[in-house]
Amino acid sequence: MSIAYKQKGEYVNIIVGVSDMKVSNDADAVLIAYSLGSCIGITVYDPVAKVGGMLHFMLPESKLDEGKAQKNPFMFADTGIPGLLEAVCNLGAKKERLKVVVAGGAQVLDQKAFLNIGKRNQMAVKEMLSKHEITIDYEEMGGNVNRTIKLSIRNGETWLKTLGQEFRKI
Amino acid sequence: MTDIDTIMKGIDGLKPIPQVTQKVMAIAGNEMSSAADLADIIRYDPALTANLLKMCNSAFFGLSRKIESIDQAVAYLGMDQVVDMVIMNLGSENLKRPQKGYDLREGELWKHSVLSALMARDIAEKKSLRNKHLIFTASLLKDIGKAVLSKHIENYVDEIETAVRDRNITFQDAESLIIGIDHAELGAIIAEKWKFSGRMVDIIRNHHLRSGWKEDDLELAAIYVADTLCMIMGIGVGSDGLAYRFHPKVMEKLQFSDTDLQLIMADFAEKMHEVNDLLQTR
Repeated sequence: MSIAYKQKGEYVNIIVGVSDMKVSNDADAVLIAYSLGSCIGITVYDPVAKVGGMLHFMLPESKLDEGKAQKNPFMFADTGIPGLLEAVCNLGAKKERLKVVVAGGAQVLDQKAFLNIGKRNQMAVKEMLSKHEITIDYEEMGGNVNRTIKLSIRNGETWLKTLGQEFRKI
Repeated sequence: MTDIDTIMKGIDGLKPIPQVTQKVMAIAGNEMSSAADLADIIRYDPALTANLLKMCNSAFFGLSRKIESIDQAVAYLGMDQVVDMVIMNLGSENLKRPQKGYDLREGELWKHSVLSALMARDIAEKKSLRNKHLIFTASLLKDIGKAVLSKHIENYVDEIETAVRDRNITFQDAESLIIGIDHAELGAIIAEKWKFSGRMVDIIRNHHLRSGWKEDDLELAAIYVADTLCMIMGIGVGSDGLAYRFHPKVMEKLQFSDTDLQLIMADFAEKMHEVNDLLQTR
């Protein structure tokens, strides 16, 4: 899905921007979503097929604007998550083997119900994954911090960074 | 605590505002000015002209023909757009650098500044606000203080983050508490030094609405909303994260529903590729 030019054995960062999704079976690829505010980054990895994917969705529900969802399903949780699962399965991953990590969904201080996209994104990701009978292996959501997440396709290692701190392996 | 005088000296390290920008801003503020007046000022600055033409021909504007002169640029895009492009030029060098203290990579603060300025202008248009150039410029430069404060907060980030967490205060309040000055206050001092209007200085100082908000000040409201939406989207957000206060009253006064705001985010997410193209031109 992603084309990247590289020297042999060199890691290639594939950036997953806002409202984007990338999958790969290239052992040298590292998928990375920078700066997740209220957005959520989901990584899925099949250790047997050595296939992984990452979704960086922004909003919970595609009913906000179905035209936009059709053009770019990865903007929303309810259209992006099925898209991610389909794309990794097309590369040979099996749903039941997927290791799943979820991060992001932060919120501004004092943000109650109004425009609390972070909270609603958290609820949407849980609902969609449980609908597909997928359990989350590790999650780090909420608070008012900004996070960056990366996934190595070689071994499925996932790294998380809260901005201002260093990357941690999870 | 870092010595405030040392921080103030950092202001001199910023690239000063070119004179031509001040002239263009004066034209923008004068209703009697014409497109020809604007083109006349720009054409005598070859570097600015070259940059402007690159910007006009970026995918952001999606024009079907190539713009080859300033006169064409003004004719095709209109005065307002051209003025905003000139203003964009003034912030780029200072804002593009990596801001290590805020954990922002090269270009990230710049991206946040441009996107929030474009969004604030979009909100200003939706709500028929006047002073669109003021809104655009203040929005673009509101975080200029970070460009100076960044290297001073580098050693205090842990302390600041602990204060945010334990005392439930904003990142800005924690900056004042631990460093002795915050990025908005420092931004206002820079704007004053650069001889921007008092109104611009006030907006930069209060862009997080820390010292209250007058309910009829919809210009400041537009800037605040755009900034908040960019934070939610994670555009150029660093170690300060989302540690700022949310003021629902602002949304109410601007008559924005939750859906309206999500739609603005969706519109800009869709345009991100074009915005990136515009950013590449500088």
